[in-house]
Amino acid sequence: MHKRISMVITLGMGLVWPFAVMAQAVSDEDELALVFSEKATISLATGSQQVLRRAPSVVTVITADDIAAMGATDLDEVLETVPGMHVSRTAGYISSYLIRGISGGQTNPQVLLLQNGVPMYQLYRGDRGGTGRGLPVAHIARIEVIRGPGSALYGADAFGGVINVITKTAADMPGTEVGMLAGSFDTWGVWAQHGGKWGALDVATTLNVGSTAGFRSIVDADAQSARDTRFGTQASLAPGPVNTGYDAVDLGLDMSYAKWHMRAFYKQRSDVGIGAGINDSLDPQGRVRGEHIAASLAWHDPAFAERWSVGYVASFTHDTINMETPLLLSPPGSRFSATSVFPDGLLGSPSRKERQLRLSAYASYTGLPDQQVRIGVGHDDLHLYETTTRNNFRLDEFGIPQPTTYMDYQTIQPHILPQRRRLNYLYVQDEWNFARNWVLTAGARYDRFSDVGGTLNPRLALVWDVAHDLTAKLMWGRAFRAPAFIELYGINPVANGNATLKPETIRMQEAALSWQARGDLQVNLNLFRYVMNDVIHTVPNLAAGTGSIFQNAGSKHGRGMELETVWESSRALRISGHYAYQKSIDEATGQDAGYAPHHHLYGRADWRVAAGWRLSGQINHVADRHRAPGDLRPQIADYTTFDLTLRTDRGPHGWNFSASVRNLFNADVREPSLAPGTAIPNDLPMAPRALYLQASHAL
Amino acid sequence: MAAADPPPLRGIAVLYPDIGEPYHSAFSKMIAGMEEQAKGRVTRIEIGTSPDKQDIASELRRQDVRVVVTLGRNGLKFAGNLDRSIGVVVGGVITVPEAEVRNFTVSSLTPDPAQLFARLQTFIPGAKRVFVVFDPGQNAWLMRLAKAAAAARGIELLAYEATDLKTALSHYQKIIAAMETGKDALWLPLDTTTVHETFVMPMVLKEVWGRHLTVFSSNTAHVRRGALFSLYPDATAVGRNLAEYALSYYAPGEPPLRSVMPLKASLLSINVRTARHLGLDIVAMQTDASLVFPEQ
Repeated sequence: MHKRISMVITLGMGLVWPFAVMAQAVSDEDELALVFSEKATISLATGSQQVLRRAPSVVTVITADDIAAMGATDLDEVLETVPGMHVSRTAGYISSYLIRGISGGQTNPQVLLLQNGVPMYQLYRGDRGGTGRGLPVAHIARIEVIRGPGSALYGADAFGGVINVITKTAADMPGTEVGMLAGSFDTWGVWAQHGGKWGALDVATTLNVGSTAGFRSIVDADAQSARDTRFGTQASLAPGPVNTGYDAVDLGLDMSYAKWHMRAFYKQRSDVGIGAGINDSLDPQGRVRGEHIAASLAWHDPAFAERWSVGYVASFTHDTINMETPLLLSPPGSRFSATSVFPDGLLGSPSRKERQLRLSAYASYTGLPDQQVRIGVGHDDLHLYETTTRNNFRLDEFGIPQPTTYMDYQTIQPHILPQRRRLNYLYVQDEWNFARNWVLTAGARYDRFSDVGGTLNPRLALVWDVAHDLTAKLMWGRAFRAPAFIELYGINPVANGNATLKPETIRMQEAALSWQARGDLQVNLNLFRYVMNDVIHTVPNLAAGTGSIFQNAGSKHGRGMELETVWESSRALRISGHYAYQKSIDEATGQDAGYAPHHHLYGRADWRVAAGWRLSGQINHVADRHRAPGDLRPQIADYTTFDLTLRTDRGPHGWNFSASVRNLFNADVREPSLAPGTAIPNDLPMAPRALYLQASHAL
Repeated sequence: MAAADPPPLRGIAVLYPDIGEPYHSAFSKMIAGMEEQAKGRVTRIEIGTSPDKQDIASELRRQDVRVVVTLGRNGLKFAGNLDRSIGVVVGGVITVPEAEVRNFTVSSLTPDPAQLFARLQTFIPGAKRVFVVFDPGQNAWLMRLAKAAAAARGIELLAYEATDLKTALSHYQKIIAAMETGKDALWLPLDTTTVHETFVMPMVLKEVWGRHLTVFSSNTAHVRRGALFSLYPDATAVGRNLAEYALSYYAPGEPPLRSVMPLKASLLSINVRTARHLGLDIVAMQTDASLVFPEQ
């Protein structure tokens, strides 16, 4: 057949050859663009269908190319660009993700962070903890952010949203590539990655080593300043710089063979500075060390039987947190009462070890007409198994520290005892194409915890393909946040644990419109409303001055919208942006819940300046952040930052370079300190202008 | 090397351009496929905008390479300057100007019509007619192949020529008016004259949605916009095929026929929203697809 066609062609060639040279010179790229459309190729480049189980929802996908265009060197910089999301900080400068105004204040477990589908958090506070600093981005294939309640599929903490970071597989990084980074605040890093075959296995390995001294913005008054005024001491280290430095080592291994996929990660953060201090007093000496090990094994058979696809995943994580140098909870010379004087300051050196084992299995059945049913079960065994509490103080019944010898108080007054949580869960989801252009997805998940009881979380989504260029969605769901161990079992009179806590709950209704206005212009509009109940926060004990305890004592409601647009103005220029609005009210006081911005505006332009050169600029405007109830300070100032990135795009065999300026106009960026604001009255200062240079090379 | 080893087999060379992403990754994968097929005996030569003919020619002599694979238009242009005794396989292009075709084997990146029609019949078994509008200056060769492929599958191919946009638009309007659901399909080829992103695509997509008509494309970007399916290059497999054609120059006997061949090593992209709108079995379609739109 082939020969015959060839002969026909050869004969035809003798006649008028039909090819004509195009009217103007067609470059390689113009022609290839017809076949290798950028999105398609990038999807190819980001590997196989990493389709996390999903119900229709409001999703933002950020690709490796987007990350490079932004000049981002850290996961937090990338997440700030997601509509409806704002990355804030705790006093220890640990990131706090605020989605749609749904926020914690002290801890941040209202967003579920996953790496390749495996939860990445520490049980103690429910956040990323000490190893949360700096997640390198060179090995990220894509990030999916699902806004809205996700507990119907993901269970606990998929409260405001779910962030899934998907790392590159061997297919995404063929060959060997190395790179380096240098920048402001004594930042440097080197990385290497290799993807290839080892026998019949597809193997990818990554290595990332780096360090930064961190920005040293000045805090001019801290909690000790207030105590100095009260007790006539002069111990405060404010005005003084915050400590945001750390050293990082990240190793990754990804192997796949047939239906199997194995991943292992090691993450170490050492010499980690503690921001403005764990106790709201500047701490120049405290250094945290954290180690995180994660391993997962997945098996998936898309054609297990006729109309059945099945799979299972087993994952194990291990976390160690300890202090390389004791934390200075208050500086030398501080005083807490007439009798409580600390010439060396308040020293604390807690340590913890956690292990988390998760087993799950799922099956998907498409035998029913127009329906896709998915069912899953799982068992998690989460164990905070070793804790030590080295202090030079003991808290009395009023919560006031009294000086003692520096030793391990684990048996006398531990900060927390080892605790174990087991949970079993079951979820079902049915996607039903009940009429042409209409799909109804209904699902629910039931979780039974060994410590906080059972919870059922349903979700409904209705999708209507209105027209060839318009899709409408209506969604309703419930989600929950399981209390963190510190809230259940923490031993600290100032914020005592309460083992009877129940999960926080949220109900959210969303409406979304996706409109392909023109071939090159996409517009999305999302609206939402939510109600949160049983919000956990500290409530003062009845006897005044005897400290506080965590209670399910709050309620909050809010509403808002996100308007997003992407305009591919030409093959050389792409403009995207969004505006997000939210307003959340604390029901007990009827006042604004605080912290999260009411208005958030973001814009980005990606411009292919010339062959092989790309220039990206982004603007981020965070505005109208009210104070939380009980906080009488004036409203925190709005801020606007500009970032600019210039990079080469030649593809390796040459080098690739990138130069990035963040906060180009040196805006004074601050994140709010906790209410009532008496501890750090002038809020938490963030990084000034910074420059980062990167180079990479494929061998 | 030990004396007992057989004499080293000849290798091939690949001339590839200094090109930006995302094409560079695609070309890298092709070169990796070539190395797999040629068991590593591939000499990589990067050519910039003004390559040194002498340097490259002497490099080829040094490596005892008698056939080169070129990727991209620049490579093709340079190949024309090489010694006539060196065989050339052209890859990484879609079309080739007439003057340059005579001496080369061309492996075009445009999907093979036979594969497109096979997919069409799998998804829509009742499909009997395929309509297409094309510029004969770009795609007459492809349409000859397509007619034969369609006939072999019991499909009637109705191909309309258009050398300018106005004629193309007029053809499209008539075609869409004449199409019947379930029986007919519209094929959008890789054709810069007739498939215009601003003037043709929006009109076509809007009309076919309202009337539940099937549109498939040779361009995966159209699938993102609503075409039912497309095929795109499996870059590594394309590389293997290129190496295979190249190595056949060394085989004893007649030199291989020089011709233009469409893409056979392809992967499937589908749009499930469109499939749902047409009432098709999405699950069956999805198992074969490598790229599924919309992305969520």
